[in-house]
Amino acid sequence: MSLSTVGYLARRAAQKERVRILYRRALRDTLNWAVHRHLFYQDASDLRERFEANKNVEDLDTIDHLIADAEAQYEKWRHPDPYIVPWAPGGTKFTRNPPPPSGIEIVYDYGKEENE
Amino acid sequence: MAASLRPAILRHIRLPVRSQGQPVLPSWLSSIRAMSGHGDDHLTREEVVDRVLDVVKSFPKVNPSKVTAEVHFQKDLGLDSLDVVEIVMALEEEFKLEIPDKEADKIDSCPLAIEYIANHPMAG
Repeated sequence: MSLSTVGYLARRAAQKERVRILYRRALRDTLNWAVHRHLFYQDASDLRERFEANKNVEDLDTIDHLIADAEAQYEKWRHPDPYIVPWAPGGTKFTRNPPPPSGIEIVYDYGKEENE
Repeated sequence: MAASLRPAILRHIRLPVRSQGQPVLPSWLSSIRAMSGHGDDHLTREEVVDRVLDVVKSFPKVNPSKVTAEVHFQKDLGLDSLDVVEIVMALEEEFKLEIPDKEADKIDSCPLAIEYIANHPMAG
């Protein structure tokens, strides 16, 4: 395998990864913007169509341009207050009510053990 | 005399508590979840496998009869890379997870997904 083929494949792989991650972020953002599930399904299908439209582009530089364009659009339309899973940083439960340190035990029988 | 004796006696008297068989906890108490969801409810591996397979089977482009726990999304199920992204998103929603982009990108087959979710402390 010649050096140019290796370079081509490496660049292609990098582009594919960029597209996957971009699609993932865009799909999540679509869910953030959708007020209801049934609105999300239509939006997600539209998003998928926009990705599929450029599926067969072969030229590497064109692909790079398309990806850069799409990433710019994604940045422009990002949701200002996205949903974050509660335990994750920025989520509603993040660092709230943390588990007690190991070695500390809570006895829940409220003094009844005195009488046993 | 009696007034000083009374607290002294009361401090030393212990009446045995008669328990009727089982400790008397109201039945609803045992069914309550702990207030903190911080890793105190671990999923069993079987449950993870079941739910992962359910999610994959209910993906519209997948033939449910082909799905097993060893299946590779692209090679065995004939999906493309964007479908895999959608499946991983569905798995995240099913298990209330947030997988970082780079790690989610690596998940491309059922064994990997099951392994990742079963080892995740926050999967619920």
